[in-house]
Amino acid sequence: MSTATGEHRGSAVAESGTGSLSATGATGAVRRSRRRWYVRLRRDRTLLIMCLPALVLLGVFGYAPMLGLVMAFQDYDLYDGILHSPWVGLANFQQLFTDPGFLHAFLNTLMLFSVQLVLFFPVPIALAILLDSLLSRRLRALVQAVVTLPHFFSFVLVVTIFNQVFGGAGVLDTYLRSHGVTSPFDFMTDPGTFKFLVTSQLIWKEAGWSMIVYLAALAAISPSLHEAAAVDGAGYWRRLRHITLPGLKGITVLLLILNLGYALTFGFEQMLIQLTAVGPGAAQVITTFSYENGIVAGNYSYGAAAGLFLGVTSVILILAANKVAHLFGEDGLYRK
Amino acid sequence: MTRRGFLTTTAGAAGAVAAAPLLAACGSGGAPAKTGAVSTSLLERILPKYKASSLVKPDYPSIAGSSPAYLSYPTNLVRTVTGIPGSGGSYSAITPLWGTIPSANNPFDQAVNSALGATVSVAPANGNNYATILPQLFSGNKLPDWIQVPTFWAPPLNFGQAAEDRLADLTPYLAGSKINQYPNLAAIFSDGWQAGIWDDKLYGFPSYTAGFNVGYQLYYRADILDSLGVGTPNVTSINDLWDLAQQVNDPKGKRWAMGDIFGYLFQPYNYASWMLDDKGNLITMYESDGIIEAMNWMAKAIKAGFVHPDQVAGNYGNGITEFYSGQMVIVSDGMGAWNAADAQKGQASNKKYTRASFDFFTASGSGTPQIPLEAATAWTSYLNKSLTAKQIEECLRIANYLAAPFGSYEYNLLNYGVEGVDYTAGSAGPQLTSNGTKYAGSSVSTYNFLVSPNNATYNAGYPQVTKACATWGQRNAKSGYQPLFYELNVTVPNSLSSANAFTPFTQTDNIMYEVARGRASIADYQSTLATWKRDGGNKLKSFYEGVLAQQKKLGTA
Repeated sequence: MSTATGEHRGSAVAESGTGSLSATGATGAVRRSRRRWYVRLRRDRTLLIMCLPALVLLGVFGYAPMLGLVMAFQDYDLYDGILHSPWVGLANFQQLFTDPGFLHAFLNTLMLFSVQLVLFFPVPIALAILLDSLLSRRLRALVQAVVTLPHFFSFVLVVTIFNQVFGGAGVLDTYLRSHGVTSPFDFMTDPGTFKFLVTSQLIWKEAGWSMIVYLAALAAISPSLHEAAAVDGAGYWRRLRHITLPGLKGITVLLLILNLGYALTFGFEQMLIQLTAVGPGAAQVITTFSYENGIVAGNYSYGAAAGLFLGVTSVILILAANKVAHLFGEDGLYRK
Repeated sequence: MTRRGFLTTTAGAAGAVAAAPLLAACGSGGAPAKTGAVSTSLLERILPKYKASSLVKPDYPSIAGSSPAYLSYPTNLVRTVTGIPGSGGSYSAITPLWGTIPSANNPFDQAVNSALGATVSVAPANGNNYATILPQLFSGNKLPDWIQVPTFWAPPLNFGQAAEDRLADLTPYLAGSKINQYPNLAAIFSDGWQAGIWDDKLYGFPSYTAGFNVGYQLYYRADILDSLGVGTPNVTSINDLWDLAQQVNDPKGKRWAMGDIFGYLFQPYNYASWMLDDKGNLITMYESDGIIEAMNWMAKAIKAGFVHPDQVAGNYGNGITEFYSGQMVIVSDGMGAWNAADAQKGQASNKKYTRASFDFFTASGSGTPQIPLEAATAWTSYLNKSLTAKQIEECLRIANYLAAPFGSYEYNLLNYGVEGVDYTAGSAGPQLTSNGTKYAGSSVSTYNFLVSPNNATYNAGYPQVTKACATWGQRNAKSGYQPLFYELNVTVPNSLSSANAFTPFTQTDNIMYEVARGRASIADYQSTLATWKRDGGNKLKSFYEGVLAQQKKLGTA
């Protein structure tokens, strides 16, 4: 920013030709900064070129499609396209905020996310600490492979497996029925326990994968710290509290913030698959709401409005969480 | 009465059977915009002239529109097309497919294209998300030369406008007696062609046209009822159905009486998409008393534990496997479910597997059973507007080839492929080889979704399936009636498209589904209905009242 302003000033000075001493000084500084910028560019060119494909990818698939969000302010028609569809201002948003279906989806999203955050977030940390304490490398590798594997399953498969075990015609209920329980509890269709169902699916699928980051952080803690503490007479819990957990604090805060960014977009597939099983009362979230109203019903503008609301709220959530992290002296997403 | 005679008396127009009570009603309001409603005389001019063609005498002739059925396959196939229809053109096509997508330019495609004298490259797309790719193809103007657009997926595309902007008008080529140069196309029922009329012009080719077409029928496992000593059930009321369900339900033995049969209940409770209430006012089925009773009955059945848990959970994907394995005894399904492939798959799971269907009944058990007919076809394909007149004419000749009827050489090629490669000819008729099962038309619909002749029932190797299915059709077709706006492609104004999607009632987690599962009450249903009416539903109704008035004026209602 300062460079841009400086450049502007510099060129203005050059054009007007007044050439006061201070102005000349500013021009010199700009030249130096330009030179430094060029030197840095030359120095880092290999790295920058390596970044290029990722930037192009982000631009083409991340930012360019965002232009389509203007349809949230239109009454979009398939054949008129974005260029010729009529503008309606904030009408879609007005309808959105008075739609009880949307408000329900919004609150439900927050509720499901909170439950998942509280119940899911500590699991990978605990798992990582537990695994780290295993002495046998072989056993550790085996356990890690087993708990990481479900990450590669799609939610379709995860839900199917859960259904085979806990569903009304699943292993558990069939067993209970053959042992005299006439109408066993159907875990898969009960709206009341749905939040715990989706959390347990998430834990089963993702806890192992999320654990890897924590394992890396644990590996970064110098063993000499543990040794020194042990020599000084610190027991396991004491070392956990004063060495291990503080060593994980930075990464935990970072992941927590990133998680908040996903707060409103999480679990689209997981919810969509199970929406019919428990009903929209329990499983409708903003993403499924946007999909059903936008894509399925063909009301693209309304769906886009819900999507835009979701995007903006997510950014605000991330920035707010980052700010809080900085207030507590943590790095957050970036170092201040 | 011949088929043609039948058509003339109904004039292919909307609501002929339901017309008597309609005359008392007089809708008002609503813009008389482009609706697709055309006058009887105009309709006569637009519609291709029907000319029956029957190569083989059916074992079970058509009664009241039921499909003719054949127990054996004709041995001397007749060529209905002389010469090669194509002139070397090359056309791209997209059709939906529910199943494994065959490889492109496979031996079957090559044989068909060589017979056509043109290259029609059909690229089948996954039927499960076909509805979501159609808007992209239409809005991006990336349509192929030939595309299948099922009418039930047309509304979100605002199809009246789509047709005018993007699709070729076939009226100048096929209207009236112009179709005579394409005799196989002329032999398709006029009702089938009517499905392709948008805003007074003919755009679409029909596939799988049937004179008697209903959305759902109620099937059961005859072999299971036999083994339980029930025999052939005599269900003449909804209470009979309840009693039967009670008799066969055994969750402990992993056998549930039924699947989610809510989709079928419109038949006994007698409601149709648009109908007239007792006072003669136009209402949607969602406002009918019948639908409330149907929801209550379904809720009661689920609560009683009659319904398979997977169906209660909305996991319909395994439904057919659960029917085959005997975990469900009674299911509702479309007419297409009853065929040789079904018998083959079912018997692979259980040798005694036998599918049968209940005759239509009334909820109370008194009165004559009725069922609103579906349009003669929901499968309509269209040509791209960018094709030249010469290309369109070539496509029409190709279409004429594709529409060759049962008993013809062309029909045999399109459905069973090449003898020795795709099928073997035996005493029981053509048996598909593994190659044929992968590619040929009777197993994988590709060309058949561009155009195909009127439905004929024939099941190679399974004459007993044909017999059961055909006699059911002959007994039940008389119950069909043409509901309001039958066969009418209504183009709804943009502002009403949201209400016209009936979102609260048509999605998989819709309010009726919730009521049936006890998660919502009838009061919740009423309030959802009231919200829908407030948010455009009432305007939509006024619009349809306008259409009805217009139809009356034109003499088609």
